[in-house]
Amino acid sequence: MRSKFVLVLVLAMVCLVGAPDPASAAGILRIAQNAADIGSLDPHFATTTQDRSLVDMVFNGLVRYKPGDGSVFEPDVATSIPASRIVDGKQVWTFQLRKGVMCHATTGVPTYELTSEDVVYSLQKSADKNRSAYAADYTGMTVEAPDAQTVKVTLDKPLSPVLFFAKVANYNGGFIVCKKTAEKLGPDGMKTRPAGTGPFMFKSYSSKERVQLVANPAYFRGKPQLDGVDFRYMPDISSRELALRNGQLDVINGAPDKAWVDKMKGVSGVKVDVFGVGEVAVLHLQTTAPPLDKPEVRKAIAHALDRDEFLALVGPGIGENVFSPVPVKFLAGGLTRQELAGKGLDYKTDREKAKKLLADAGYPNGFSMEMVTSEMTGYRVLYESMQAQLAKVGIKANVKLVDHSTMHSMIRKDANPLVVYIAWRPNADVYFTQFLHSDSTVVTGKKPNTNFSHYNKIDGLIEQARNETDQVKQVALWKEAQIKALEDMVVYPIQYQNQVYARSTAVDYGHELISVLALYPGITEKTRLTK
Amino acid sequence: MLKYIAQRLALSIPVFLGVATIVFLVVRVIPGDPAVAALGDYASKEAVDALRQRMGLNESLPVQYVRFLGSLVRGDLGKSMITGSPIRDDIAHALPYTIELTVLAILIGTFLGVPIGVYTAIRRNRLADYIGRVLSLTGLSVPAFYLGILLILLLAIQFQWLPATGGGGMDDLRENISHLILPALTLGLVMTASVARLARSAMLNVLRHDYVRTARAKGLKERVVHLRHALRSALIPIISVTGIWAVSLIGDSVTVEVVFARPGLGKMMVGAILQRDYTALQSIMVIYTGFVVVINLMIDLIYGWVDPRIRH
Repeated sequence: MRSKFVLVLVLAMVCLVGAPDPASAAGILRIAQNAADIGSLDPHFATTTQDRSLVDMVFNGLVRYKPGDGSVFEPDVATSIPASRIVDGKQVWTFQLRKGVMCHATTGVPTYELTSEDVVYSLQKSADKNRSAYAADYTGMTVEAPDAQTVKVTLDKPLSPVLFFAKVANYNGGFIVCKKTAEKLGPDGMKTRPAGTGPFMFKSYSSKERVQLVANPAYFRGKPQLDGVDFRYMPDISSRELALRNGQLDVINGAPDKAWVDKMKGVSGVKVDVFGVGEVAVLHLQTTAPPLDKPEVRKAIAHALDRDEFLALVGPGIGENVFSPVPVKFLAGGLTRQELAGKGLDYKTDREKAKKLLADAGYPNGFSMEMVTSEMTGYRVLYESMQAQLAKVGIKANVKLVDHSTMHSMIRKDANPLVVYIAWRPNADVYFTQFLHSDSTVVTGKKPNTNFSHYNKIDGLIEQARNETDQVKQVALWKEAQIKALEDMVVYPIQYQNQVYARSTAVDYGHELISVLALYPGITEKTRLTK
Repeated sequence: MLKYIAQRLALSIPVFLGVATIVFLVVRVIPGDPAVAALGDYASKEAVDALRQRMGLNESLPVQYVRFLGSLVRGDLGKSMITGSPIRDDIAHALPYTIELTVLAILIGTFLGVPIGVYTAIRRNRLADYIGRVLSLTGLSVPAFYLGILLILLLAIQFQWLPATGGGGMDDLRENISHLILPALTLGLVMTASVARLARSAMLNVLRHDYVRTARAKGLKERVVHLRHALRSALIPIISVTGIWAVSLIGDSVTVEVVFARPGLGKMMVGAILQRDYTALQSIMVIYTGFVVVINLMIDLIYGWVDPRIRH
């Protein structure tokens, strides 16, 4: 009798719990990111991949990067891509807004049509350091609203289209927030209740768990094909992978590792996407303190390193060797290996030459250095590989492991003579400004940022290129600046690492995946589930 | 008894305050900057400095400490330093997931562990005993997170019986239970191994006593001897271990919640650490401390109830 009761109980439990989560049948795309929680969903504070992905679905820019291809601009809430004109020595860009772009309704603010007043408010917010993490990108910009559908942007110093459109595109400070909504929600409300004009509207946020979005039926490009997006925070790769295999998730952020990609390619019903943009890993060499103040030592380090050894860590296809700090595959202004090899600036691996350079510099027996690295695998393995490679020419790198944000704090205090930094920046000018302009020198710069080399020899070229409106000349100036930096060996570009995502074969993004600035596949009104 | 409870409660207050103070200091000793963690590496130093100011990180430690204690006394857990959302609401959302997980794991550990321990003790040095000892040793040797992944691979991926991750909605019983089984089984099986070993040795110890021999001599059935006479005495150390395990499971639940992506207190704590969300982290730690204090208090009370000599 008792065993029958147990059997009935077990059967009842199995019937009760049944099969896994059926959420996707209703057209809800379930996507998991490698993150613990949101940082901020105020688009002007969205600096991490998990936040950028979400705000990308909720907000628009005046122009946008073409979905799936970050090298092309196309109109977003503006009707067209304008040309600039010079008025009284200043550069003026005039945008006409689309009609019928509706701001999402939020608590206390019903839906309303976006006007130029909202765009002005938004760009002014982007320029305010207390209301935006990107304020530095908007200095010298004045925004006006001559009428409800027109926005006039005036720049004190002219910019080329590629630099200007990046400031008003759907990325960083270019996202447009609706004035009434932003004022009603306030800074704290904006962090967790985003409301913009995009294809998906905020529905709910559950701390450290998920954000749910629903389709915006009034979206100006048409109602999205998905009913909504369930965006989950899962920092553990095993959990994400198992949930995808189990059918509980449709899209996951994968591991940037060829072995993982190959494994997932063998899973039935799963497709793996490897796409740009690639975050570029660059070695920055401190130029002011011995022994790296001697160019021979810096060049010896460059010749001691082998890009292929670094590449083997992630696997070909996931990463690719780079030879200039600006990645030529994704951005105008980069240099190919062929362009640099003739000048000897590809710094081919030659450890005998490295030893000779060290001896010439007065270090025949090498030397030792102290440095820190992040516990994050992407950084740690590069430092470990560098350590092993440098040891072959007698340079002893003592690498201390610290947590990721501590590493960021310490390298900004000049703790490392050699800094490996992995980053994506939306255009060449940002790379130059942040990494190679003397104003950005860590600790001592006017606006300390990430110039770890303390390099100050190409400021003029950087500024000249920034204000060059002829794009061909601008690219030539960028190339010249990089050649100079490589001649002085202040940066040793290592590789770029592509984005790796896996998805159910039922997911159709609605666009080809070439490069996405937000570092996720891009979910738009055309994305759909085919099952 | 009431006086005893009041004494124990009064003693809990300084423990609670002491732990809260340690938590406050430890959280601030963790390297890293919440402003940098929140804004990422793109933000300029100006933007990071402005955020630090808004987060109140530029205030002195004593000022932050007094504010923290004041809020705690008022029962106000504050707002998340990163998202600005009220921590009380976040904890209220997460807590039921952790409680149901821990409670079910304890039930699994107890109701599987005790019978296995008793059975293997009765069958000492026979096949069932060998199997039980090997299994319990295996259970003790396997880390909870690893066992969790094995269970997911078997029951969620291979057989597709249960969901691999998530917590399910609290308002949907079916969904909630289906998401609870695997993580509770993971924690419960680890506890089962320990309880089974202890129950076996406790039973073996009791079975040697004279009163058990007397019971048998009186002609009582073996089942009665084992369950009514031997097990009753053996339960005292088992209750003690269950209490210790309840505290230990709270710690283990952190890794299990991360592996199963359950939206409980453990996952919330790991997230707060990763984001350097000081206010959230210290509040979560205070809640965990509260758990431990309450469980210890309950164990003390049960001891006092079982053995009145302890009260004196």
